[in-house]
Amino acid sequence: MKIQKTSLHNEHIILNAKMAHFAGYDMPLQYSSVKEEVIAVRKNVGMFDVSHMGEFLIEGPQAISFVDYIITNDFTNLELKKAVYSPLCREDGTIIDDLIAYKLTDNQVLLCVNASNIKKDFDWIKSQISSFDCKLKNLSDEYSLIAVQGPNAEKVLKEVGIKIPENFPYYSIINNGLEKDKLLIARTGYTGEDGFEIFSSHAFACILWKKLKSIGVVPCGLAARDVLRIEVCYPLYGHELTDFITPLDSGLSWTLKTNRPNFIGKTFLSNYNPIYKLTKLSIKNGIPREGYEILNQDKRVVGKVTSGTMSIQDHKGICMGLIENKDIEKIEKYFINIRGVYCEANIHTKPFITGGHK
Amino acid sequence: MTCIIPNNLKYTKEHEWAKIDNGLIIIGITDYAQSALGDIVFAELPKINTELLAHQSFGVVESIKSVSDLYTPVSGKVIEVNALVISNPEKCNESPYEEAWMIKIQPASQLEFDKLLSPQEYNEYITNQK
Repeated sequence: MKIQKTSLHNEHIILNAKMAHFAGYDMPLQYSSVKEEVIAVRKNVGMFDVSHMGEFLIEGPQAISFVDYIITNDFTNLELKKAVYSPLCREDGTIIDDLIAYKLTDNQVLLCVNASNIKKDFDWIKSQISSFDCKLKNLSDEYSLIAVQGPNAEKVLKEVGIKIPENFPYYSIINNGLEKDKLLIARTGYTGEDGFEIFSSHAFACILWKKLKSIGVVPCGLAARDVLRIEVCYPLYGHELTDFITPLDSGLSWTLKTNRPNFIGKTFLSNYNPIYKLTKLSIKNGIPREGYEILNQDKRVVGKVTSGTMSIQDHKGICMGLIENKDIEKIEKYFINIRGVYCEANIHTKPFITGGHK
Repeated sequence: MTCIIPNNLKYTKEHEWAKIDNGLIIIGITDYAQSALGDIVFAELPKINTELLAHQSFGVVESIKSVSDLYTPVSGKVIEVNALVISNPEKCNESPYEEAWMIKIQPASQLEFDKLLSPQEYNEYITNQK
């Protein structure tokens, strides 16, 4: 497979970023230090090249009802210019991907999907569309995407001339007039902080990146992005979400709106008893990593870590893991097997960090 | 990337350094290793009196993204462990050759030490790695 480059690839090289292959792209893993990048996003502002993400446009008189049909979350009752996070499921409830659906107009919906799933999602959505009066377009190669995240995100974007409306709540999107149709500004992100995701032409993305860099916005890589999302317990496809489990196994019951006439997976998911429960655990001495065993008080394996890292803010090992739901109420203590040592873990009912998003 | 390779140390292909000090062998990781790993956030070192064989893993350092084993270049008994590395793992990035030495070993013999890479050999090795 040919490794692809985003439009900002050269900027990453100039900044001497440590690069790595991710979802078929050569992407920046880190620039200066992961710690500094994470802290910049929590306390100030950072920017990410996430142009590898996929963008689909669904257009036509039935675009909205079609999207409502393919996702588990409610799209019909969403206001115009608003967005919703949702899994994309099969009839048997298993997860094809998770995505953000943006209601651009009465007949246009933008879907932002995971880079690694672009082809799978496209084929699936196309296979479902025939009875709806709308069309699917893959715009992934036409759009660059920069995420500007952190408490000062709005301030720096205004500083470089991006217009942000007065009333622009979290999970909204606007079509900015600067470059008609090609510039979309969404107040969304994957860090838990306030922030924006800017879909634009490749040329505009390069200009924006350089401008933001020149006023001191910290470039952040995929490593920082991973720490940030684990700290606020956002799932990542391929880790917490897979082809083999349902949203109810992975903590996404809040995205399942069954009070709608029909959507793919409704019948199955309405009667489903989850096999797993996505659980948040922390340990003081050590870092839980993906694949490590989770054990109960009898040292019986009850689950596996799906994502883990060192929390920069709290300086402890944090993770999410899928635990067998059967007899989960009988678990008194959790342990994580770290290289043969069973480290006692604390269970958390809330995310490790509360982000500052609006 | 330019890496510091002090002249008074010996090296391994696993990017550890070693030096003799009062009959003991002090072991740590090189500047090249710390730079390749990125922010080191956790370290696990052996207990005092642990007997180690050359090339055996004696601990790990973890960056945010990865876990890396540490290998002893020489056989012997662990006499001292640097508690600072455990309490402040970031010292591995800041001062890999001084403050962040990892363990001191009472070597079984000096033969293994003598066979380690010279600074010139190590420099050549990492240059070819790039």
